[in-house]
Amino acid sequence: MTEPVWGPVHQDIVGLLADHPADVPAVVDHLTKLQDLLVRLPPLEQSCPLADFNKLYLVITSTVLDGLYDDRFCDPAFLARLDVEFAARYFEALRFWTDSSPSTPKAWSCLFKRMRGPDARPLPSAAAGVNAHINYDLPFALVTTFDSLESEPIDGSDQHRDYLEINKIFAERIPELRRGYLDNWQLMIDMVNGDIDDWYQGELVEYTRNVAWRNAQKIWRCRHDPDARECERTRLDDNAALLGRLLLSPLGAFLQ
Amino acid sequence: MASDVDTAPLVGRTGTMATLRSALYDDLRPGQTGAVFLTGESGVGKTRLLTEVGEQLRQTGALVLTGACLDIGDASPLHPVRQALRRLDAEQAQARTTSAIRGVLQVFDEETPGPDGAGALLERVAQGLHVVAGGRPLVLVLDDLQWVDRSTRQLLLYLLAGLGDLQLSVLAAIRAESLRGAHPLRRVLTELRRLRSVRVIDLLPLDRSATDELAAAVVGAPLPPEAADQLWQRSGGNPFVVEELARDRRDGRDGLSDTLREVFLDRVDALPQPAHAVVHAVAVGVEPVEHWLLAQVVRLPEEELLDAVREAVAHRLLVGADDGYRLRHRLAAEVLAHELLPAERAALHRRYAEALTAVPAELHQARLAHHWRHAGEPGRALPAAMAAAREAERLHGYAEAHRHWSAALTLATEPAAVLPDGARPEPVEVDRAELLSHAAEAAHHSGEHARALTLLEELTDDPSGPPVCALRIRRARYLAAAGRSAPAEQEYRGVLDAPDCTPRERCTAAARLAELLLHLGRYAEAGDQAREALALAADVPGTTSEVVTASAALGFSEAFLEDPAAGLAVMRRALDTAERSGRPEDVACAYLHLAELLTGPLNILEEGVVVARRGADRVAELGLGRTWETRLLAVATNGLFRVGQWAEAEKVVAAALRHRPSGADAVELLLARCRLSVGYGDVEASDRDLEAVATVLAGGGARHVLPMLILRAGLAMWQGRHDLARQAVQRGLTESRSDDVIVLATLAWHGLRAEAEAAAGRTIEVDPNAVRRLREVVDRLAGKSAKAGAPVRYVAEGFLALCDAELSRLDDGRGDPALWERSALEWDRRNHPYPAAYSRLRQAEALLARRSRVATAGKLLHRAYAMAQSLGAVPLTAEIRTIASRARVALDAAPDPAPVPRPRAAAPAGPAVDELATLTAREREVLAAVAEGLTNREIGQRLFISERTIGVHVSHIFDKLQVRTRVQASAIFLRNGAE
Repeated sequence: MTEPVWGPVHQDIVGLLADHPADVPAVVDHLTKLQDLLVRLPPLEQSCPLADFNKLYLVITSTVLDGLYDDRFCDPAFLARLDVEFAARYFEALRFWTDSSPSTPKAWSCLFKRMRGPDARPLPSAAAGVNAHINYDLPFALVTTFDSLESEPIDGSDQHRDYLEINKIFAERIPELRRGYLDNWQLMIDMVNGDIDDWYQGELVEYTRNVAWRNAQKIWRCRHDPDARECERTRLDDNAALLGRLLLSPLGAFLQ
Repeated sequence: MASDVDTAPLVGRTGTMATLRSALYDDLRPGQTGAVFLTGESGVGKTRLLTEVGEQLRQTGALVLTGACLDIGDASPLHPVRQALRRLDAEQAQARTTSAIRGVLQVFDEETPGPDGAGALLERVAQGLHVVAGGRPLVLVLDDLQWVDRSTRQLLLYLLAGLGDLQLSVLAAIRAESLRGAHPLRRVLTELRRLRSVRVIDLLPLDRSATDELAAAVVGAPLPPEAADQLWQRSGGNPFVVEELARDRRDGRDGLSDTLREVFLDRVDALPQPAHAVVHAVAVGVEPVEHWLLAQVVRLPEEELLDAVREAVAHRLLVGADDGYRLRHRLAAEVLAHELLPAERAALHRRYAEALTAVPAELHQARLAHHWRHAGEPGRALPAAMAAAREAERLHGYAEAHRHWSAALTLATEPAAVLPDGARPEPVEVDRAELLSHAAEAAHHSGEHARALTLLEELTDDPSGPPVCALRIRRARYLAAAGRSAPAEQEYRGVLDAPDCTPRERCTAAARLAELLLHLGRYAEAGDQAREALALAADVPGTTSEVVTASAALGFSEAFLEDPAAGLAVMRRALDTAERSGRPEDVACAYLHLAELLTGPLNILEEGVVVARRGADRVAELGLGRTWETRLLAVATNGLFRVGQWAEAEKVVAAALRHRPSGADAVELLLARCRLSVGYGDVEASDRDLEAVATVLAGGGARHVLPMLILRAGLAMWQGRHDLARQAVQRGLTESRSDDVIVLATLAWHGLRAEAEAAAGRTIEVDPNAVRRLREVVDRLAGKSAKAGAPVRYVAEGFLALCDAELSRLDDGRGDPALWERSALEWDRRNHPYPAAYSRLRQAEALLARRSRVATAGKLLHRAYAMAQSLGAVPLTAEIRTIASRARVALDAAPDPAPVPRPRAAAPAGPAVDELATLTAREREVLAAVAEGLTNREIGQRLFISERTIGVHVSHIFDKLQVRTRVQASAIFLRNGAE
C-alpha cells in the first residue's frame, strides 16, 4: 500500500478539508489549524515549503479580518465573500492533491510536490504559493464573487478600491515582498518570453494583483461560454505553473 | 456483438446508493424537500448512479422525472424540466397523469411576457408538478447540471425552499471538471452545502478492491495479480476506463487507451464507415436526435441506417431511447469534434438545419439558430436567433434572451460563407438599432450592467437609433441599477439641462434623480429635485408614475429632515392622484411607499399597518395580488410584530404566503414569519424558515443575509447555543457596511447579549476578543448614529441603549439597573413592547443581584411578565418565570388575566366536541403541564402554588375526564388541539 499523501497527519488534514469554511473568521480558523498540521509534516516539518506559504496567507487573512472588523473597507460584503471564495480555491487544490486527482491545478501541484523536499528557501516557497493563489485562483474567485453579488468588476468602483486596499496589506505585512523583491520578480518575468509576454498583453504591470483584476474582467466577459472559460483557465494555470516552477528552481533562490 | 452492450454490475457504490436513497426518499418527512448534488470527474459513474437510484425510487412509488441540461449554451429557459415532462408523457399510460403533464407543458406554451411574470411562472409550474405528482413524492433527476440555465436554477431553489409546497427531492449530477475556474454553480453549491436538506457528494474513483471486483465481473474471472496491478495503475479507478480495459482484455484486444479520450478514439476508429457517420452526426446534433432526423442527416437507406445504428450501439458509443439517440458519454462529442474537418461539420449542421426547418419541434428556434450559425449561414441563423430570443423573453429568461440577441447581433455583421453552389447568399436586411435595443434591455434585466451600457453606447452611435434624450434616461437607469450613482446622476442632470428634451422626459429625469439622491442619503437635494419633478408633472398629462416616485422621494426626505407632517401629506396626495389617474401599478406603488414611510422613518406603526392592509385589499382588487399585495402584507406583518400584535401578524403573513411568492418577496415574508417564530420560541418552525431563506439566497440576494444572521443568532440564544449566536454575529459584522447603522446596532446587541448570557449561564467561555471588537463597533456606531438622519438615529439609539446595558452586565457580572431602565423607557417610547419587556426583566435581575429595591424588582417582573404573556413570547416568559421563582416573586398572584394559550393562525382542526370543556381554566393549565411530563412539584413551581394543591387539581381532572393515569389525561389534552 502506498503511503498516504499527508503522511502521519493525513487523517487530520482530510478531516479538516471536509469542512468548507463559509465566512472570514472561519477561514482564519481553518488556516490556523492547517498551519499546525503542516509544520508536523515530515521530513521538513518547520521548513515545509507549503507551511511557508500557509503562514504568510494566514497573516494576510487575519489582517483582512481585522480590517473587516475595524471598518477599513467600503464594501465588506464584497471583500468577505471574495476572501472566502479565494480561500475555497486553495482548500480545493489541497483536496484535489489529497485525492491524487488529475484535476489538481498545475499552478499548485508544483509547490505541493516539494512538500517532501528538497528543501526550498522560505521566501521563494511563499512566493510560489502567492503566485499560484494570485495568478491562478484570484481571477476566478473575483468572477464568482461578483457573480454571486450580482455586481461587476468595474475600475474605480468601491469594490475595486477595497481590492486595491489589500495591496496595502501585503505591503504592510511583508516588507520583504516590497520593492526589492518585486524588482527581482519583474526581472525574472522579463527573462521569460513567449507566453508570459502574451499574458501581460503589453500592459505595464506594476503588480501581479492588477493582472488578476484584468484577468477577472476578461473571464467575466466570457463567463457564460464554457469553452472560452476553460480555455482561459488552462492558460492561467499553465502560466502560473511556469512561473511557480521557476520560483522553486535554484533560480528562485536569488530572490531571497 | 450485441452482448457487448451488456451492462457491468454497479460496483463499490453500495454506501453511496444507500446515502442517496435515504437523503432523497427514506429520511424525508412529508412536506420536506431534499437534494443531492453529485460531483465527479467524467467516467466516474454519475449518470449510472442517477439511473439506478431513479429506478429504485420509481419502484418504491415515487414519481421520477428525468432530464438533462444541454451544452449548446443558448438553449431555452427551463428546457431540462420541459424535456423531463415530455419524456414522462411518452412513458405514462395513465390518462389522469397524462392530462396533468400536458397541463404543465401547456403552462409553458401559454406563458406571456409581462412584469414579474417570472415568479408567477415558477408558481404555476410548481402547481402543475403538484397535480402531476398526485400525492406521490416527486423526484427530479437532472444530469449534466453544469449546463443548467438560470431559470431552471431558480426553479430548483424555489422548489427546494419549500415555496412550491411540494414534497420534492432533487438528484443532480455535475461534471467536476466544469466546476473548476469560475462556474456560476460554484457559489450556489457553497451556499447549499451548509443546509441540512442538501448534500453535495464528491463521487471518487473506485478503490483498489472495487476496481478488481469490477474487472473480474466484466472478464468473468478474477484477473491475475500482475494484470490487476496494471489495470489499477492505468485506470486510476475510473470505472468507465476500468470497464473498457477489462473488456479489451476479455475480448483479447490490446487496447492502449488509458484515458476516456483515448477510449473513445479507439472505439471510433474501430467503427465501420456507416456507423462512423451515424456517431458523427449525433455528435453534431442537439440531443436527443430523433430517428427521422438522423435519417435525413445521414442519408442512408432505412435498412443500412438501422444496421449502422446497431453497430454504434454495440461499440458502446451510442444509446437509443424512445425520444431519440444520445451519445453514451458527452465527452465523446468533444473528442469527435476534433476529428471532423470544418467543412464536414458545416455540412452536417446544414443538413440538420434544413431538416428542422420543415418540422417545428422542441427547442425549434434555438436549434435552428445553432445549426444555421455553424453551417456558416448567418443570414438564415439570424431570424431564428431573434425568434429564440423572443421565445426566451416570453418565459422571462432574460439571460438566455440576452445571449440570443447578442448572437443575432454578431450574425448581422458576420459575412456569409460561400454556399456549396458557389453563390453568396443575399445579405439580410435587419434593423440593427432594434437588435441593439433589445439586446441592451435583456442584458439590463439579467444584471449584465456593463454589457447593457456598451450596447447602449453602440445604439447611441447608430444613426437610426432612438432620440438622444430617451437614450440618456435609459443609460441613467442602467447606471443606477449597476450601483454607479455618480454617472447616473450626471446623465439625469444632462437631460434636465438639455433644451431639446421634452417636458415629459425632463419630468421623468427629475423624479428618478430625486429617488436616486434619496438612496444616496442626500435628503435636501432629493426634496428639491422631487419638488421640481412635481412642478413639471403638473403641466404634463400621463405622468402619474413620476408623481408617485417624486412624492415618495419628497415624503421620505421630509421625514429625514424633520418635517414629517409635510412629507406625509405629499405622499397621501400622491395616492389620491394614483387612484384618480394612474395605472394599477402606480396605485400599488403609492400604497407601498405610504405604508413604508409610516412604519419606517415616521414610526407611526398602527396607522402604517392599517394603510398596508387597506392597500393589500385594494391591489388585490386591481389584480396585483401576487406581487404587490405580498409586499404590502410583508410591511403590515413587520409593523404588527413591532407593536406586539403577534397573533395578528401571524395571520397576515400566512395570508401573504398563500400567494407562494418567489425571490426577494418570499425571503421578506419568510424572515417576517421566522421573526415571529423566534419570539414564540418555536425552534422547529424558525429553523425551517431559516433553511428556506438560505436556499433562496443561494441564488443571490446579499442584502437579506444580515437579517437572516440576526434571526439565527436570536434563535441560538433561546436554545442556549451562545457559540452559534457568536458565529452568526461575527459573520454579520464582517459582511455589513458601516453605513447600515441600524443593522449593525442590532447585530452588536445580539453579540453582546450572547457573551453576557454565556457568562451568566456558563455555557461557553466569554471571548474577550469578541467583546473588545463589539465594544469598538458600539463606539463607532454611537458616532455614526449621532450624525445620521433623525429616523435612523431614533431606532439606532434604542439598540445602542441595549448594547450599553449588556456591556454593564459583562463589566460587573450583575448589570447596571439604571442602564436597563433607560433601555426599557427608550423602547416604551418607540411603542415596541418586546425589547421593552426584555429590558425590564434585566433591570429587575440587576436590582435583585444587588439586593436592593426588591419590591421594585417584583413590580418590574410583573410588568415584563404581562407584556411577554400578551405577546405569546414563550421563551422570554419562561426566563421571566425563572428569575421570578428564584426571587420568590409570585407572578400569577398579580391581577393580570390568566395566561392565554398562544393563538395559532393555522390551528389543526380538532375533534368536533371539546373534551376539555368541563375543566376550569386553572385545571387546563395544570393539565397542560402534566402533558409536558412535569411532576406535581415542578408544576407547583411553575404555577407558584403548592404541590398539594396541584394534587387536588389533578384528581379533579382525572374525575372529569374519567381517566386513571397521567398518560391518559395527557392523550386527551393533546387530542383536543393543544400545542
